[in-house]
Amino acid sequence: MKKLISSALGLLPALVLLLTGCKKWDEKLDIAQAVVQVAQPISDAAPLCGAIKGTMLAGKTYTIGCDVTINPGDTLFIQPGAHVNVTNKSGIFVQGSLISLGTKTAPIWITVDSLLKLKNDAPNQDPSKDPAFSGGWAGIYCAPTCPMLILKWTHVEFGGAGLSISQGALVNQSAGQAYSILFQNPKGIFVMEDSWLYGGVDDPIRISNGKICFIRSTFEKAGAKGGDCLNCKGGTVGDMAYNLFVGVATNGQKASNKGQPVGAPQTNINMWNNTFVSCGYRQIQTGRGANIDIEEGARGKAYNNLMVNCKFGLRIVNNPAADTANTRYGYNYEYGDSLSVVNQIYPTNAALSGGWTNPQLTDIPDYTTFLPANYTYGETYDGTPILQKNNPQFYNFPLPVPNHVPLYGIQAVGGYDFRLQAGSPAIGKGYTGLTPLGAVPIDPKYGVTEMTPPGIDIGAFQSNGTGNQHHP
Amino acid sequence: MSFNSTKCLLLFLCLLNFYTSFAGGVKGKVLDRQTGEPLAGATVQISSGSFQRTTSVNLDGTYTFKNIPEGSYRLTVKYVGYSATEEFTVSVADGDKFSTRNVDLKEEGKELEQVQITSTGKEGDHNARGLEKNSAVLQNILSQKAIELLPDVTVANALQRVPGVVIQRSSSGEGRYAIIRGMDERYNNTLVNGVKIPSPDAKYRYVPMDLFPSDMLERLEVIKSLTPAMEADAVGGTMNLVMKTAPQHFVFNINAATGISTLFTSSRPFSAFSHSAVNDKSPAEINGNSYTATQKDFSTGNLNFTGKSQPWNTMAGTTIGGRLLHDKLGIIFSGSYQNFYRGSNSDFLVPNAQPQVVGNQDNQSVISDLYVRRYSTQTTRVGLHNNIDYVFNNKNKISLYNMYIHMNEFQTRSTYDSVYLNKLSDNLMRSRLQKQSIYSSTLIGDHTLSNQFKVNWKGTYAIAKSAVPDMAEYDYQSGSTPGTYIVQDLSRIWQHNTDKDIAGYLDLLYTPSIAGQKVEFSLGGMYRNKSRDNYYNDYSLSPVLTGGQPQQWKDYNDATYSFSPAGNGAGSITTANPNTYSSHENVAAGYGQFKFALTPKLEVLGGLRIEHTRQHFTTVMPESFAGRYGSVEYTDPLPSLHFKYALNDKQNIRLSYFRSIVRPDFYEIIPTENVGEIFNIKGNDSLRHSKADNIDLRYELYPGGSDQLLLGVFYKNIKDPIEYAIVRNGGPSAQFLMPENFGNAHNYGLEAVYTKFFGPFGISANYTYTKSRITTTKQFAYKDPTLGITSKIVDQSRPLQGQADHIGNLSLLYKNPRIGLDLQLAFVYTGKRIIQVSPYYNLDYWQLGQGVLDFSFEKRFLKHFYFYGKLNNLTNAPAKTVIYQAPPAGSAFPDQSYSDKTVVGKEIYGLNLLGGFRYKF
Repeated sequence: MKKLISSALGLLPALVLLLTGCKKWDEKLDIAQAVVQVAQPISDAAPLCGAIKGTMLAGKTYTIGCDVTINPGDTLFIQPGAHVNVTNKSGIFVQGSLISLGTKTAPIWITVDSLLKLKNDAPNQDPSKDPAFSGGWAGIYCAPTCPMLILKWTHVEFGGAGLSISQGALVNQSAGQAYSILFQNPKGIFVMEDSWLYGGVDDPIRISNGKICFIRSTFEKAGAKGGDCLNCKGGTVGDMAYNLFVGVATNGQKASNKGQPVGAPQTNINMWNNTFVSCGYRQIQTGRGANIDIEEGARGKAYNNLMVNCKFGLRIVNNPAADTANTRYGYNYEYGDSLSVVNQIYPTNAALSGGWTNPQLTDIPDYTTFLPANYTYGETYDGTPILQKNNPQFYNFPLPVPNHVPLYGIQAVGGYDFRLQAGSPAIGKGYTGLTPLGAVPIDPKYGVTEMTPPGIDIGAFQSNGTGNQHHP
Repeated sequence: MSFNSTKCLLLFLCLLNFYTSFAGGVKGKVLDRQTGEPLAGATVQISSGSFQRTTSVNLDGTYTFKNIPEGSYRLTVKYVGYSATEEFTVSVADGDKFSTRNVDLKEEGKELEQVQITSTGKEGDHNARGLEKNSAVLQNILSQKAIELLPDVTVANALQRVPGVVIQRSSSGEGRYAIIRGMDERYNNTLVNGVKIPSPDAKYRYVPMDLFPSDMLERLEVIKSLTPAMEADAVGGTMNLVMKTAPQHFVFNINAATGISTLFTSSRPFSAFSHSAVNDKSPAEINGNSYTATQKDFSTGNLNFTGKSQPWNTMAGTTIGGRLLHDKLGIIFSGSYQNFYRGSNSDFLVPNAQPQVVGNQDNQSVISDLYVRRYSTQTTRVGLHNNIDYVFNNKNKISLYNMYIHMNEFQTRSTYDSVYLNKLSDNLMRSRLQKQSIYSSTLIGDHTLSNQFKVNWKGTYAIAKSAVPDMAEYDYQSGSTPGTYIVQDLSRIWQHNTDKDIAGYLDLLYTPSIAGQKVEFSLGGMYRNKSRDNYYNDYSLSPVLTGGQPQQWKDYNDATYSFSPAGNGAGSITTANPNTYSSHENVAAGYGQFKFALTPKLEVLGGLRIEHTRQHFTTVMPESFAGRYGSVEYTDPLPSLHFKYALNDKQNIRLSYFRSIVRPDFYEIIPTENVGEIFNIKGNDSLRHSKADNIDLRYELYPGGSDQLLLGVFYKNIKDPIEYAIVRNGGPSAQFLMPENFGNAHNYGLEAVYTKFFGPFGISANYTYTKSRITTTKQFAYKDPTLGITSKIVDQSRPLQGQADHIGNLSLLYKNPRIGLDLQLAFVYTGKRIIQVSPYYNLDYWQLGQGVLDFSFEKRFLKHFYFYGKLNNLTNAPAKTVIYQAPPAGSAFPDQSYSDKTVVGKEIYGLNLLGGFRYKF
């Protein structure tokens, strides 16, 4: 507890912001920022090992030679353009804070250089040989004491090596755990803004609990044979918006209230304007693999999401049941190349999905054109009328996917461009009345820089240029 | 060999109330001169010239000759272990009535003065009653003869016949652990011949009682009050297994039996796997921790299953013993072998890990899965023991006792796991072999230094081992196309542990006469060094994606698996487990005890014991882990005082007080985290041991024979009881189940035992009422206006786990020694009790009250040959587990017959039938 207090004192400026800052996202703040000194520049002369704190400087390349820890109360800042090469399957263990502040022009890389050279984003790679799923380093593991993990314009790649016992001991995890990022403090803040996650083994990002904001980020090849890309467990509150998911093993965004700590808030996530392409095919369990999944006592809202060729549509789970009384969704857009997709945009019992998703009048395509009258969730239906209909017309992504590439073969963004062409039926169909939860403060360093409100176009890329900025 | 019966005995026979008469002739009683107990089964013969009649003595000691012609007869009585009586002359007069003639027998001089050998006839019930009556402490005893006639073949099952004892059953319906007076396994200890034995259990100190074949025992004692001379770590009671000792006369017994379990049929066969395919060592043990395992390192034979529609159970045992070298050297050897096929069919509704808020109802347990399980368990037990004693002279004797027991349990578990409300199902097959053994060797010396001084010493080496090599389980899941299946995860686990004791005991006994009264002072001590090693190695593989897609299931041999990531197959990760640890414990104890008669009728025993414990542990955790090694040390003064007031020869009133302790289990003080079913379980390095104050008051009536009436009350106050509860520790989101001390627990109750014989018929009944209370913290899910669904910690009071308010036994016996027939119908009732404490408020698992009916018989058909049978679980009533929450309305939940509770578990074991032959010489 004392350590917690001292770490909190160390982050006093952040705390001030936290307390005085915007609880509601839509209040525009104009508060003078505390001037943060560049504390303890970190040398790039030798591989890093052990406890570190201070600042990784802009433009420098750092090698992590063995496990590094950020002790309780300490902070590691990473300046724009820094390149971090992790070797020896080590990890970054965050008991204090990690604040990685890249920019659009100078993003930060936390990667494994030897694997980076082997990266192959051509479609249809064999997952058992793809370096994306090999677990090149442990990942960023935050302990329950970590008050803040901020990733802006930062690439996190090739994580998910199984933790060794000594790594696990640093963050209350057992050996063998294979996430790329773990966050586990219901009072802590985890922001991932304009960033990228590539590869992974188990859940690439596991949020045991916390106050979160995932916005305008891109996730590719997430999870080897199962694993939810953003897997939120009990006691997680926040927003997920304008994210792009391609070839995720199971779900892109999952909300569950499982494992909620005593006295922590119910898991509650608002999800808007996300784009999902070819997700759910590497999950070995039957009936799973949606793009958005809300289950086991969690609540949330899901609007304006674009789902293309995913194994299942929006999945509201019946057992253990989501808090359906407090869960809302609509204006979601589904496209499918194959019958196996369009027959499951409302997950059916026959496919053992456990889905409980009620069709909404605002859904695209209009369900009244293909669902029988008196349809109840879970029933089998014939999706033939909507097969390959409502092509969202991406800038550069052929739909239907050419025959030689199976749907599950689309695993990464590569050269594709998921912006909407003018004239796309997804333009102008969104719902803008949704209020973000705003669980984290708006702040260029200690929160989310820009909380983009729900957009009028479906999906992560808005025709007015807002939303996800990861495009050619 | 000299097995002269006239030399062997020390008992005197007494013929009382000797009636003679015409035509109905002669009747009377045959009693043990020393204890006054009836000698059921003794042979009485009358003869006159060529006329000869023989009969046997009934359970209540009576015998009768009817329709005897008028005249004078010679009468003799013979009984194994007793000298033949002198001959008596009885006359049968004319007339249809019995005339009375009392004969008082006073045979003397047959005892071997120089040899301190205890009673022969020690295998009988009457002897057990005598020991209970004369004991300084409260105990219940099952004699060898009683055990032999019971429907049970293991000590665990026999224990359920003892007043106040409930047994916990294993997944095959076999008794395993004993709960004594509502105090579960943790609160009881196990001795063999008065010496503590280590446990092969992977986690706990307590000993699985199903390891012991019951035919190795001379008697089974359940001691409910402790004296300063006894090990102090028992609150419910001490189970003392007294093994057979060398008999005074040559003994040779052999028995063999076979039988079946009705559970197995051609449609529900016993499922077996290749025993030789089980690898004793894991890939990491074979190749070192730097080796990274792949699928090819694992054998397939133990995951290929074959069915046996009706396997035969077998059981055999032998005992041979006697005395050599002019009775100075006594030897007994006993061997026992059992091979049983048992199993169970169970259905479980599995509640979701955490309760939900359903509508407006807080803290609702929601069923997530239905498990349909089939256990097939082959249990092979081998028990060997021998006891050698050498009597130097009437002042010095040494004996050496060796015991080896070994149990192999080959178990197949099939699970059909369907996700409730969905059609999704998993099909899991698991093979598990557990090898457990205990070896114990004790050298004992008894020395009489003078009339007033005696010295006893004991040295013990004992080692208990358990190994579960390659527990393997695969899973395949229904695919979205009906009839197709998808390969799921594969797990392989190696685990083994040893627990080794080296202990020495010394007791000094000084018996001076003070003011004309004999006072017994004893002073003694004990030192035990225990070392325990645990090893755990856990491999978790997942199916390879074939062509980027989930793999279709054909059969296990066709499935391909890999570690994800591949590095997780390395021994450095798979062995990095909190279950791997070593622990040492040194216990030093000393005591002073006195015993004297305050008045001729009031015996007082009391004194003080001091036990010092030092426990040390080492884990495989790294330097960064707080609590990777540690030790704890404590000392307890443990006073006790026992009064026994003899109202008369047949009635006692006892009052006892003793203080005892319960030590935490080894892993419970190690602050590492074990993966648990709902929550991980984390040890607690600040866990204190529990202390208990125990008071007993008991009235006893021994009217003679095996008859008895016992009425008692008890009260226990347990300070710092150890219970598991949810705690938040180490961080806001780190939540564990952790053993903790919870203030005080109370436990009180009433015990009644009644045994009565009417000629060949007997009734034996006991009843125990127990009430206990403990308050622990629980989690409670509710809806908060701002947080939404959340939870808080609340207190809840409940009975101790395992404590049933009402437990009872009722046995009907028929014993006809004349035709050599014994019948016993035994019924055990265990009232409802918590079998698993839930971390959540009001959601404990209760087992409903249950009766089990067993039957056994033995029939002599030649002079030394007997046919016997044991029929268990005649009603085959299912064991039902419930949670106290109304069953969900409108769902197709099977077996719901209550409105206030949900039946979440139902287990059926089938009948077990066993028949065989016994030869006794």
